[in-house]
Amino acid sequence: MGSRTAITVNRPEDEIRRMWQDPAFRPEYIGEVDAAVTFRDAPGDRGTEIHVALPREAPRNKLGEVVQKVAGSASLAKVKDELYRFKQLVETGEVARSEGSPEGERAERKLKQRPAQPLKESELEKAGV
Amino acid sequence: MTENSTAGWPRPIDSILHGATDYTAGVTLTTVFPRLANIDGTSAARQIRIAGAIHAGYSTLTDYPLGVVKAIPYKAHLALDAIGALALAATPFVTGQFRRGRDQWVPHVALCAFELASLALSDPTGKGDYKADVEAVRRANMEDPARKVHERGLAVTPGAAATNGGAATAAVS
Amino acid sequence: MRANVWSGRNTVQVENVPDPKILNERDAIVKITSTAICGSDLHLYDGYIPTMKKGDILGHEFMGEVVETGKGVSNLKEGDRVVVPFPIACGNCWACRHELFSVCENSNPNSGLAEKMFGHSTCGIFGYSHLTGGYAGGQAEYARVPFADVGPIKVEDDLTDEQVLFLSDIFPTGYMGAEFCEITGGECIAVFGAGPVGQFAIASAVMLGAERVIAIDHVDYRLEMARNKAGATDTINFDEDPDVVEQLKVLTGGRGPDAVIDAVGMESVSGHAPLQAIERVKQASRQETDRGAALRDAILACRPGGIVSVIGVYGGLMDKFPMGALMNKGLSIKTGQCHVHRYMKPLYEHVKQGHIDPSFVVTHRLDLGEAPNGFETFKHKQDECVKVVLKP
Repeated sequence: MGSRTAITVNRPEDEIRRMWQDPAFRPEYIGEVDAAVTFRDAPGDRGTEIHVALPREAPRNKLGEVVQKVAGSASLAKVKDELYRFKQLVETGEVARSEGSPEGERAERKLKQRPAQPLKESELEKAGV
Repeated sequence: MTENSTAGWPRPIDSILHGATDYTAGVTLTTVFPRLANIDGTSAARQIRIAGAIHAGYSTLTDYPLGVVKAIPYKAHLALDAIGALALAATPFVTGQFRRGRDQWVPHVALCAFELASLALSDPTGKGDYKADVEAVRRANMEDPARKVHERGLAVTPGAAATNGGAATAAVS
Repeated sequence: MRANVWSGRNTVQVENVPDPKILNERDAIVKITSTAICGSDLHLYDGYIPTMKKGDILGHEFMGEVVETGKGVSNLKEGDRVVVPFPIACGNCWACRHELFSVCENSNPNSGLAEKMFGHSTCGIFGYSHLTGGYAGGQAEYARVPFADVGPIKVEDDLTDEQVLFLSDIFPTGYMGAEFCEITGGECIAVFGAGPVGQFAIASAVMLGAERVIAIDHVDYRLEMARNKAGATDTINFDEDPDVVEQLKVLTGGRGPDAVIDAVGMESVSGHAPLQAIERVKQASRQETDRGAALRDAILACRPGGIVSVIGVYGGLMDKFPMGALMNKGLSIKTGQCHVHRYMKPLYEHVKQGHIDPSFVVTHRLDLGEAPNGFETFKHKQDECVKVVLKP
């Protein structure tokens, strides 16, 4: 449990592979943590499936298992975020931003949302706009 | 669930929730409470049973959604709740039975505290207080609700979107 | 700018907040000329939807004039009059391409939150909690509209704001509810709930050719509007007689309605006070989040083999759902947040041709500053309130 995830992007496989290598699109965190990434044709007209498996070390004891589950799920959340952002960039050309989450999908933002009202000028740069 | 604007704290219990509590408490006090509180057979038990029965009794006569005969106004019911709670708490001291041990007065005082807490959290207007000023709304309204509701004249043409080509040619009057 | 913000349970306030800014190239900024309070806003107001934050701007039914566009928007220019659909949809994902706009895969930057509740995320929505993205809403002077090349439709004629405003949400929602019923002509349709969405469901069923449309509610003036304006052929006030299932049988010659529309949602009221009390207690103690009196009655009343069309908004979990009745009577449930983009242009055509005048539901038109009074009046059904439009 908790170390694999997948997302589907509606572009053909060769295009996805190419964009995955392109620095403008390539997810950073997934590269850093040495995850195993595979691409597969999705059925019908659905595009390409991207599968990511995080590296796992076997825990030595029960506590280790719990720690790995908690820490592991944290990094899986980051992987999911990056996959989602990749999908948005490829399909729509931009990362979806809201006033509550102006940087786009971010695991940290789940705990601390901005109020859903426009940003002040001073906040725009920090949000990467 | 409402916030009473005149009290400084939220009073989320409306008349439906209050009624549910009334009956639950009334029935519990009359039936199993004395046994659970280990005071069965004593005068304390009898007093609590009577209090529970009276409470459930006047609840059935209250004018609120769970009342059977809607005779007593809701605010009067809340007043009875308060008076009854205080009377119950006072009973052991009036009869002197408090000297016979803690279990002959602590249940009364505890039940009184519970009832008063529930009253503090109950919205006295019952159905949820309407916080706006309806006259102000009427003055500010640029539309006439009565005309929109009561005037006859369909705003829609029957069959105009029917897929079997039944679109009427007559427009909306 | 002024905006109506959520400030806690049963509290909204009009405050001064920063003006919206373009955050992405496909954004546009709209100067709002009319906006409305929706029945689903009351679930936010009453505190039943989690993830609200103080300062969240509410409102998802709005229209106005384009004042700025991002570089990626070429179909709109400054000065265009537009109506904005409440679901935010990218137009590019598999869901959008299949016209399932309200489950767009790309428009919710808080998809992780929504996934926890629903298994998968759905689209972003203006002003509807952080579960749907935390987007600022439209009960304000200006709004930022993402994917402006996909959502807003241009309105270029003499129709008043109130005749087109409801293309943003409640008219398409009511229409989708009626379309779900697969009306081919001659059907009996029961509509639970005669609020604004119910009124449009009734009117749409009438437009689609249903022969009998029965409105069910417990507020007399809403039933009267349903009869006078929306075209309901019969009405049931369940405060007078709580046995709705039986009354519907009598009205349909013992058969039951061919399809039922639930335009009530999670804050359903039962005609049976003790049942209502039990539901309220369970909701207060969070044993269930959604009250199901209307949906239950709808499922029991529907004729065997019929359709249950659910357009009322629900949020979480419901107790005592009549699964047995549903299965054994072979009913179909069709439901969803409305795929507004699908319906805006066809319904706009109907308005232009005079087949329907959507402004019939508006009973209150108030300045934006009166939003708190508007919410209270709408919630407590005072002053014969059916629909409140706010003018910034």
